[in-house]
Amino acid sequence: MAEIYPSLAQCAVVAAALKILLFPAYKSTDFEVHRNWLAITHSLPLWDWYYEKTSEWTLDYPPFFAYFEWIMSQVAQLADPAMLRLYNLEYDSWQTVYFQRFTVIITELVLVYALQMFVDSSRGASKRAAQAAAISILLSPGLLIIDHIHFQYNGCMYGILIASLVLARKRSTLLLSGLLFAALLCMKHIYSYLAPAYFVFLLRTYCLSPKSIFRIQFLNCLKLGGGVAAILGTAFGPFALKGQIPQILSRLFPFSRGLCHAYWAPNVWAIYSFMDRALIVLAPQLGLSVKAGALQSVTRGLVGDTAFAVLPDITPRICFALTLLFQAIPLVKLFFSPTWDSFIGAVTMCGYASFLFGWHVHEKAILLVIIPFSLIALKDRRYLGAFRPLAVAGHVSLFPLLFTPAEFPIKTIYTIFWLVLFLMVFDHLAPASSRPRFFLFDRFSTLYITVSIPLILYCSLIHGIVFGKSYEFLPLMFTSSYSAIGVVGSWVGFMVVYFSS
Amino acid sequence: MAGPSPSPHKPRRKPKRTGNGTSSNLPSAPTREPHARTPAFPLEAILWPARGSVSQWEMLPLILMVAGLFRWAAGLWGYSGFEKPPLFGDYEAQRHWMEVTTQLPISQWYFHDLQWWGLDYPPLTAYHSWLCGKIGSIINPSWFALYSSRGSSDPILKIFMRGTVVVSEYLIYIPAVVIFVRRFSRLSGVPTWTASVALVAILMQPATILIDHVHFQYNTVMLGLVLASISSMLAGRYLWSSVFFVGALGFKQMALYYAISVFFYLLGKCLFPRTNITRLFGVAAVTAASFAILLLPLAIGTLYDVSRGIEARPGLKGARVPLALFPELANYLDTDAFYYPVVEQVVQMVHRVFPFARGLFEDKVANFWCALNVVFKLKKYPSELLQQGALLATLAATVPPNLILFFRPRKHLLPLAFAATAWGFFLFSYQVHEKSVLLPLMPMTLLLSGNKGLSKNTRAWVGFANMLGCWTMYPLLQRVDLRMPYAVLTLLWAYLLGLPPTSLSAYFQSGSSLWARWGTVFIHGCFYLAMGLWHVLENSLKPPLDKPDLWVVINVGVGAAGFSLCYLWCLGRLAVESEILPKSWIGKGSKAKTQ
Repeated sequence: MAEIYPSLAQCAVVAAALKILLFPAYKSTDFEVHRNWLAITHSLPLWDWYYEKTSEWTLDYPPFFAYFEWIMSQVAQLADPAMLRLYNLEYDSWQTVYFQRFTVIITELVLVYALQMFVDSSRGASKRAAQAAAISILLSPGLLIIDHIHFQYNGCMYGILIASLVLARKRSTLLLSGLLFAALLCMKHIYSYLAPAYFVFLLRTYCLSPKSIFRIQFLNCLKLGGGVAAILGTAFGPFALKGQIPQILSRLFPFSRGLCHAYWAPNVWAIYSFMDRALIVLAPQLGLSVKAGALQSVTRGLVGDTAFAVLPDITPRICFALTLLFQAIPLVKLFFSPTWDSFIGAVTMCGYASFLFGWHVHEKAILLVIIPFSLIALKDRRYLGAFRPLAVAGHVSLFPLLFTPAEFPIKTIYTIFWLVLFLMVFDHLAPASSRPRFFLFDRFSTLYITVSIPLILYCSLIHGIVFGKSYEFLPLMFTSSYSAIGVVGSWVGFMVVYFSS
Repeated sequence: MAGPSPSPHKPRRKPKRTGNGTSSNLPSAPTREPHARTPAFPLEAILWPARGSVSQWEMLPLILMVAGLFRWAAGLWGYSGFEKPPLFGDYEAQRHWMEVTTQLPISQWYFHDLQWWGLDYPPLTAYHSWLCGKIGSIINPSWFALYSSRGSSDPILKIFMRGTVVVSEYLIYIPAVVIFVRRFSRLSGVPTWTASVALVAILMQPATILIDHVHFQYNTVMLGLVLASISSMLAGRYLWSSVFFVGALGFKQMALYYAISVFFYLLGKCLFPRTNITRLFGVAAVTAASFAILLLPLAIGTLYDVSRGIEARPGLKGARVPLALFPELANYLDTDAFYYPVVEQVVQMVHRVFPFARGLFEDKVANFWCALNVVFKLKKYPSELLQQGALLATLAATVPPNLILFFRPRKHLLPLAFAATAWGFFLFSYQVHEKSVLLPLMPMTLLLSGNKGLSKNTRAWVGFANMLGCWTMYPLLQRVDLRMPYAVLTLLWAYLLGLPPTSLSAYFQSGSSLWARWGTVFIHGCFYLAMGLWHVLENSLKPPLDKPDLWVVINVGVGAAGFSLCYLWCLGRLAVESEILPKSWIGKGSKAKTQ
């Protein structure tokens, strides 16, 4: 089969050039977080990693990520040893910036490799589509904004996730896929939201016989169970011996945080909060009682604790139950038709459910939905129809992460470039569906995309001119409510596609 | 950067025009390159999916967005003179002119405190500064407050200044490039997709991005106006061509590098194939009128200031000072006449714009004089002799290409003739700055959009000139810690076009003679090796104590030699393509050099 141009490597080179040019750009506190972790892992013995609290940015990722930081710190001491001192808070010499930014670009090669695996695993006519989808992930504005400006290592993490998803495509590599996912969980526990899909898929295809669900393949169960146990043991074993597991768990799962994050992630709770605010105004007409305590909270919606004035409060238990419920629904289908496509669909649905109903969801978590979805968005036009509002909403919702004027043109122009290019390319590539399309859904998505233009204009320019510094929550609220409608809409659309195909 | 291509939709593009309505003065029928099966270099690969089915109107916005992204991202780095007192740098000069033009009456612009970045560009720059300054003052008046704003390093001001460069470029240079590439590629029979590849290559040219968007200046405004002038020539609109060229001259006197070519082309067009007196007078009249309009605001403003009792030089308390240039003019003019302040103003402007009093060259420039100075100390000769020598040498270098252009005023020769002339000026003229290398690079890079523009030979030479040009500006960029954007932008461009140091694919072509092939490889190879070695040495070794400028001097020598080759290549190719030489010569003589 002839080569498809451009190759992933060619795109990666051009993208890397832009990313290096972005070195002096704004960096969030996450930059300092990761510098601090380099310092912790480099200068303290293993046993103190999860107890160290000189900086407020304590180590709150699982052990494999700490090991990953430790490996990088071995190189870091060649670049600038000063960044590895624990008390050197907020240290950002140019060597430190160059080093940390470079590590993001270099570790992202994992993603490039995984995407190449994905393209190679596709056959025939869908190979072109796979290449387009792979390039869209590689050039994703989400990764550019979060990793290369805001600062994090998602490129590497999602690379491992995609590699694991691709390995699940062949029967012979199913075990490897599961083990790789287990290792990923020990790097960043946010991926445990996707674990139910893995559990069901591996259970059905690897641990049970393909012919009958009542015949258990014991050898496979043993291999998978033993492998996962070994990986978890490598990660947590040393800490378990010292009895540090409770301490690690308290770091990994800080339940003291509020329902909504500092900015509202565009999920159902954002819509819920928006309705609550609207009801405060309408309450007298409707004869509803307004809780006075919630009205006093000046920081409402901006900082952690969210108190609702009219609507009932939400507890972590409700979030958990709703997440689990909406994860379980697609898993039933996966159990009975365990194809790779429905596995990816189920992973996407798990991402959706956790993003939409989760407790203290960060808007960065939208990648958990977008990236798995990208792998199957080009399956046919109905999938693409559900993907489009998600692509717009998910990326627009990341805009508040960067609020400095110098980065404004980068984030908007890059995102618009990506949306125009890939929505156009996807539109050319997605084959027609064998089933009829839904009534009005395409109209909704076109209308939705159009609305984004005045919205971005309002939030970035008009609001500042009209209100200046006051009512700062308004643009944030509009952005997250708008994005929430898009994410929920695409979720509903995808659910219909998923169950009807 | 796009995904793969076959589409279920029908292509929206209009059927391609076959043949060229305007190709009357093409030497031969356009030679379509055979449809290649694989891309020849990475930039082609990236635009590969857009072949055939994608219309230009889908590609153009995407290309412009990417070009803008790289420009803005490069602008995040430092600028010349960032936090470098006492004088700061080009950035401060441009900011200071916004301060001067918005805060002072127009008659004082060219006289105000000349020691601190006195205005020394022609009036259009002053008007442009005024406009930018007015807009900036709405956002934050303190940016351009008289005196107190000097040397400001406000980060928001930086964003505003970067914004003015990008907006000016997108209003002038970029439309000019897009239109030029469209016209020139159609004229040369180049398919639309190939023209788009050339467009990206021209827009991503590292030298202009580094100087304008990183180091800080507004060269692209001037270059854009020159390009608009050339585009008008391609379209046969000679009057517009002269208007745009006067605009370019009025923005930056450096546009004079092209003036001879503009003059000879327009003159040639008026005389050949038959004399067209109306056109000749039309061009002359429009040029004069454009100059008048250019000076009009300055003149009216001066008269208005005089009527209000505002003096151009308030410090002198009304004392008459002889004119800065041509003081004998005062003998013929009535110094009390109403128009005298205007004369004074114009003379002062010309005096500021053309600093004859300065030396043969400033700093270290990769031109002939500076390289010669290494061997012969030129400073010991009287400056008049040097000026005359420079004038003679410049004329000797620029007359041949312009004579060709005069006798063969053909559209497809324009970029080559402009490039050869500008190289001549850059190498031999007086008072050259290292940034002036942008002027010959611009028309030479335009060759990419012409007939066989992306062929290996043209790509190799255009790429060589650009890489060498960026390399000679390295000392300038390195002084303000801009190594990283320098490395990224030049290597990216080299990668996209398949040039050394990233690839050797631009060499080793089939079809040309063995000598021609290996000659180019050998010459370019030596230069690329020298550049690479120089970077290694400059980075790792300190120059010996008695020769502190050693690295810069080597840079200048290598640069001047390479630029001379570029000049000869442009001139040789111009001679071949104009078919001015007898056929029998071309077969043997210059073909070895040019093909």
